[in-house]
Amino acid sequence: MPFKNKPQVFGAAINTVELGSDYKMTLGGENVLPFYTFDGPIANAPKIGVEISDLGTEVEDAFPILKEFYAGASTVVEMAKKACTMPGADFICLKLEGADPNGENKSVEECVQLAKDVCDAIDKPLVIAGCKNVDKDAELFTKIAEALQGKNVLLYSAKEENYKSVGAAAGLAYGQKVGAESAVDINLAKQLNVLLTQLGVNAGAIVMNIGSAAAGYGFEYVASTIDRVKLAALSQNDAQLQMPIMTNIASEAWSVKEAVMPEADAPEWGSQETRGIDMEVVTASACLAAGSDAVILKHPVSVEKISALINALM
Amino acid sequence: MALKGLDIFKLTPKTNCKDCGSPTCMAFAMKVAQGAVPLEKCPHLSDEVKAQLSEATAPPMKTIKVGAGNNEHTLGGETVLFRHEKTLVSKNLYAVKVSSGMDDAANEAVFAAIPGLDYERIGERMYVEFIYVDYAAGSDKGKYLELVKKAASMDRALVLNCADPAVAKEALEIAKEGKPILNGATAANCDEMNALAKEYGVTLGVSGADLNELHDTVAKLEAAGNKNLILDVGTASIKEAFGNAVQIRRASVKDGDRTFGYPSLVNIAELAPGDDTLQAALAAMFTLKYGSILVMSGMSYAQALPLYGLRQNIYTDPQKPMKVEPGIYPVNGADENAICALTVDFALTYFVVSGELERSGVPVNFLITDAGGYSVLTAWAAGKLSASSIAKFFQEKDIEGKIKNRTLLIPGKVAVLKGEIEEKLPGWNIVVAPNEAIQIVKFLKDMNK
Amino acid sequence: MAKFITIGERIHCISPAIREAMNTRNPEPILKRASEQLKAGATYLDVNIGPAEKDGEELMKWAVTLLQENFDNVPLCLDTANRKAIEAGISVYNRSKGKPIVNSADAGDRIENIDLAAANDAICIALCSKSGVPADNDERMAYCQELLERGMSLGMEETDLWFDPLFLVIKGMQDKQMDVLEAIKMFSDMGLNTTGGLSNVSNGMPKYIRPIMDSAMVAMAMQNGLTSAIVNPCDQRLMETIKSCDIIKNNNLYADSYLEI
Repeated sequence: MPFKNKPQVFGAAINTVELGSDYKMTLGGENVLPFYTFDGPIANAPKIGVEISDLGTEVEDAFPILKEFYAGASTVVEMAKKACTMPGADFICLKLEGADPNGENKSVEECVQLAKDVCDAIDKPLVIAGCKNVDKDAELFTKIAEALQGKNVLLYSAKEENYKSVGAAAGLAYGQKVGAESAVDINLAKQLNVLLTQLGVNAGAIVMNIGSAAAGYGFEYVASTIDRVKLAALSQNDAQLQMPIMTNIASEAWSVKEAVMPEADAPEWGSQETRGIDMEVVTASACLAAGSDAVILKHPVSVEKISALINALM
Repeated sequence: MALKGLDIFKLTPKTNCKDCGSPTCMAFAMKVAQGAVPLEKCPHLSDEVKAQLSEATAPPMKTIKVGAGNNEHTLGGETVLFRHEKTLVSKNLYAVKVSSGMDDAANEAVFAAIPGLDYERIGERMYVEFIYVDYAAGSDKGKYLELVKKAASMDRALVLNCADPAVAKEALEIAKEGKPILNGATAANCDEMNALAKEYGVTLGVSGADLNELHDTVAKLEAAGNKNLILDVGTASIKEAFGNAVQIRRASVKDGDRTFGYPSLVNIAELAPGDDTLQAALAAMFTLKYGSILVMSGMSYAQALPLYGLRQNIYTDPQKPMKVEPGIYPVNGADENAICALTVDFALTYFVVSGELERSGVPVNFLITDAGGYSVLTAWAAGKLSASSIAKFFQEKDIEGKIKNRTLLIPGKVAVLKGEIEEKLPGWNIVVAPNEAIQIVKFLKDMNK
Repeated sequence: MAKFITIGERIHCISPAIREAMNTRNPEPILKRASEQLKAGATYLDVNIGPAEKDGEELMKWAVTLLQENFDNVPLCLDTANRKAIEAGISVYNRSKGKPIVNSADAGDRIENIDLAAANDAICIALCSKSGVPADNDERMAYCQELLERGMSLGMEETDLWFDPLFLVIKGMQDKQMDVLEAIKMFSDMGLNTTGGLSNVSNGMPKYIRPIMDSAMVAMAMQNGLTSAIVNPCDQRLMETIKSCDIIKNNNLYADSYLEI
């Protein structure tokens, strides 16, 4: 008796969202579960972003491969240009950590200028991540959306507390794309999409950021949230959950103990850089298996390996 | 799996003869589905139909036990495709590969690394559960049998990958005590391999050129009375191995295809030879999507730390939160003079807070109190985190005897407990920490200024 | 589980305005009622053209085209005793948003509407009665079986037969209500879809009572597995109840704004 596959092709699909102007990429569009190419074709492979921080160009000695990769890049803009050359990189994520009022508290003007400079210098679509302070991010995203009009960037991301200003500026006034951020809370994820669309933001201009965690650190909540979002979007045709998902892996993976502990303190664990790469790669792969349409990574080796994984599966 | 009335109705004679005592065949089918009436009440069902129905009510995926003694493991038995639907029951297990096709030094390195990777994470032993002993085509039989002998002495369960029945018999003779898995049955050799598996009472691993051939071979083995199987998803390509793993699991759990209702084996070492990082990425993918035994070239700490953490997360029962053992967890080299910070035993809270404490660089005695595995607010609301529960914890663990410092940080979310704790713990300086873990680093640094 | 399907009942020739509009082929009143119902959250729209013995085929084609062209191929439920008119309607029907529904077949004279649905790959409402109200659930289930077998023998998917237990008016048949609910449970246990004219239950009650009674009934019926109903979607209380039950049944993921979407 031969095997009879029963393909799960759904009557609904994830929205497609295009980012970039001169250099474009398309997220989403799938109507099957992640990498289920045996059920139906997947038009757009998941995308990989490279995270660049505005906090300078210094790379710790503990990460020789990373240091070597960015050697010679003396400004954030040069780093971003360099990052574009990573094989497998699809977009750049500029993280404006320095804007945090509890940190360096860089001015909005300075951040806007950097965003413009990076955007002009690179040949990939741009995603702008904020500093996690909701008021500062609202201001930053509003100004950057205006300054980068026509560049079709993603402001990553609006939260429940600031979606009105971010949505109005990025989504309505300046035609950018809007990230909708919740912290591993599927009801809030949906609610934010409802609120943004009620505000007038086109559903096709929204990318979800449902939150993230490193492997071993409550990742089951991330996996189940993504599983449930994708199943509701596809099998229940829930239009308020059909936005593609972008997940920042780098921030989580490189800040857990396994990646932070110096080799001297844990000799049996081996190279700190290898540990960070493996944490980043394992977390990214698990997110992609659950259904992230894009992941943001930091290390060139991670980008290369995750790209190889995606290519092998598509 | 519960059968719907309609599935049963379709098999009834639909004559409404009332011989069963029900007014219509439909009413009868409904009662059978509810378990109110046995199927046998209908005198007109053929034996074939009865067999079909009893097969349909069997669990979708078999539970297979492999190995022996301390190294006995359970695979399969899943009833859902996604953990949120209920829970996943049998976590994926890891094997490392040695092979008669590899040189001695390489095999030796794999063996040597096995005992070193053995640690505990939240009450679970993390180690490589299996050694996958591969008989490479055209290699030296004597060398293979030596490898089997060595592997059998390592205190791990074994997978003997050997498609040559004659060699397999000799290998089984060496390793039979440990009830290894015999992998390598194909359409061509399945009769002989089946005889061997039966003779030695071991689980048989089956593979096929494609899913159709695999399906046929399994059906043939089942017809020969063997339902102690695992299914090798193959090594043709990463894409095909992934597709096979998903389709096999989905066919059994969702679509009721009992022929594919067995655990899987994924030879990741073969899918990404020489690339440890890609192997880790693949292992993560197969942890979520339906690998049961994952064969790796090796297992370093760099790979194990995220992979075992991921597995522990994914295989947590959504109904039962992961708990950390209550006690004192010194952070950043804290000694008896370091301050104390207390929180609940919910694993996620523990991880998030301990991560932030570590980032602060400040030595802290991190105290985990028994709160039933709930988060801070939930535990407080349920009465599992109170001044008396904290006082009891201090007494049981003899905190005052072990720690000289008398400053205790409590979670910001239970600031209301401050006064009561001060009453119960005289002499302690109770400090309310921030509401959110992310604010801890700044808080501790400010405190130390 | 899929979300509850509401079939808007307000395009009905019993209404003088609609009857007039159908006679004169005046689109405005029909489009207005369609728009109100869709805004209120109806999934399907019922199009009842009455017996329409004379010009039924032409009228149904006109109505189907009119509604689908103006409302993005809204899925429709074709409601008339004139079988030819239903076929004519299906011949111009666009399926991109859902199969057409034939309203309706029963176990009596109208059983051939199942054949019509099967031949046209349509959904068919299957009324579990022959002539008048079934005496008990044994009788209902016997009709159900008859209808089901007919559909299956013609190659229909069993889920394309939506069984109507026949909702009964409370003022007059109060003692039969629990039977209807039990019948819904039995269909549901069989894995079958169900629907029915819900507002029947509150017929003859004061206007302010009807939304309350209909809401209570739909909640109890949904608990028993009702998958669809023919309703007045402009009844806000009823629609809020249905949306809330869909949340409780986990048919739709909760968000604070769930009543607005």
